[in-house]
Amino acid sequence: MWNLSDESLLAGLGSGDPDAAATFVRRFQRRVFGLALSVLRDRGAAEEAAQESFVRAWRHASAYDPRRGTVAAWLLTIARNVSINMLPARRFDPVDPEALLAMEAERPSERGAEPRVEDRELLREPLARLPADQRRALVLAVFYGFTAREISELDGVPLGTVKTRIRSAMMRLRSQLRVPDER
Amino acid sequence: MNADMGCAQVRELAPELALGIAEGDERAAALRHLGGCAACRRLVSELSSVGDELLLMAPAAEPPPGFESRVLDRLAEPVGPRGIRLPRRWRWATVAAAAILAAALSGGSVFLATAGDRRLADGYQAVLRQGQGSFFAAAPLQGPQGRAGTVFGYQGQPSWATVTLRPPVPAARRFRVQVLTRDGRYLAAGEADLGGDQAAWGGQLPVGLSAVHELRLLGPDGRTAFTATFDAANPWD
Repeated sequence: MWNLSDESLLAGLGSGDPDAAATFVRRFQRRVFGLALSVLRDRGAAEEAAQESFVRAWRHASAYDPRRGTVAAWLLTIARNVSINMLPARRFDPVDPEALLAMEAERPSERGAEPRVEDRELLREPLARLPADQRRALVLAVFYGFTAREISELDGVPLGTVKTRIRSAMMRLRSQLRVPDER
Repeated sequence: MNADMGCAQVRELAPELALGIAEGDERAAALRHLGGCAACRRLVSELSSVGDELLLMAPAAEPPPGFESRVLDRLAEPVGPRGIRLPRRWRWATVAAAAILAAALSGGSVFLATAGDRRLADGYQAVLRQGQGSFFAAAPLQGPQGRAGTVFGYQGQPSWATVTLRPPVPAARRFRVQVLTRDGRYLAAGEADLGGDQAAWGGQLPVGLSAVHELRLLGPDGRTAFTATFDAANPWD
């Protein structure tokens, strides 16, 4: 079961196969919990968010479309959104969000527990080379779901400037990423 | 920003669309544009891949003991009527897809303009979920006198197509339905009685819709009477 692809496990999860469900949770729990913890900074809240993320993945497994991204990205997007919705009243922890990316990932404890680890390195260096203000705007948008307007208000920077920062950062990273022809 | 957007404006907004943080009227106008512009859809899709890769960089962390069994207990609970909230990035893709479908079905953007895009997206997703399908597509049915109707297709297990004629409906005839695949094969897809009182025909496709390049209706003389061309393997990509 552990050797099954992410897509096969997700299909099994969606169809109610208990073995597939257990393997799916085991394979992704550290990444889902890690992302929730990064956003919420509270282990209790992060567990709640992570549990809810798996429940939603199970419920919406049939909506997954491999052409639009990997299972890991799909699941982590769910986890990100669940976590954002649990942030108290859009108040933001004053800790620099860049700390999130500066953290070293834990080593996988099980074989295959970190699928596509290489992806996380693909943009790490290009991201580090971005100007700090672009990187900050991007992290706030990607991990915390802040809109350009919210970032503008948070940092006291004109809206147009924030939009330009996000756009410049994304276009530069896009040029670094080998985008497959078929997605 | 209620006016329709051009490619230049949408490309400016594309990173925010891809990250799911575009707002309000801007977002709605951009999604209307995406419904009819494959190049801008492709850009947003590529930028979404960047967003995905960034998300994958978040550090992993060991959850509390017993986490797995608590999740599995929740999965074993009976399903209740809970709200559906798709991830934001997937919402844009779905809404863009729904915009194209809406345009194809209504001949314009009226449908989209008068319905909340989330409701539309949720409805579209709900329809696809019923059969675990991937997407719907539509193509104009062309005949010797020009457009004669529409072919609607569904990518799923199985894939199927429905041919509809628009007035004036010609006299009743029997056609052989033929599929030309993207790799150049001609496959039979049954027979269709169309015309007269029969303005619609539906049937299973011998291949997935994504593999269909053309659907043809052949007359008794074996010649192609009507053709519908599906431009892309997946119009939402």
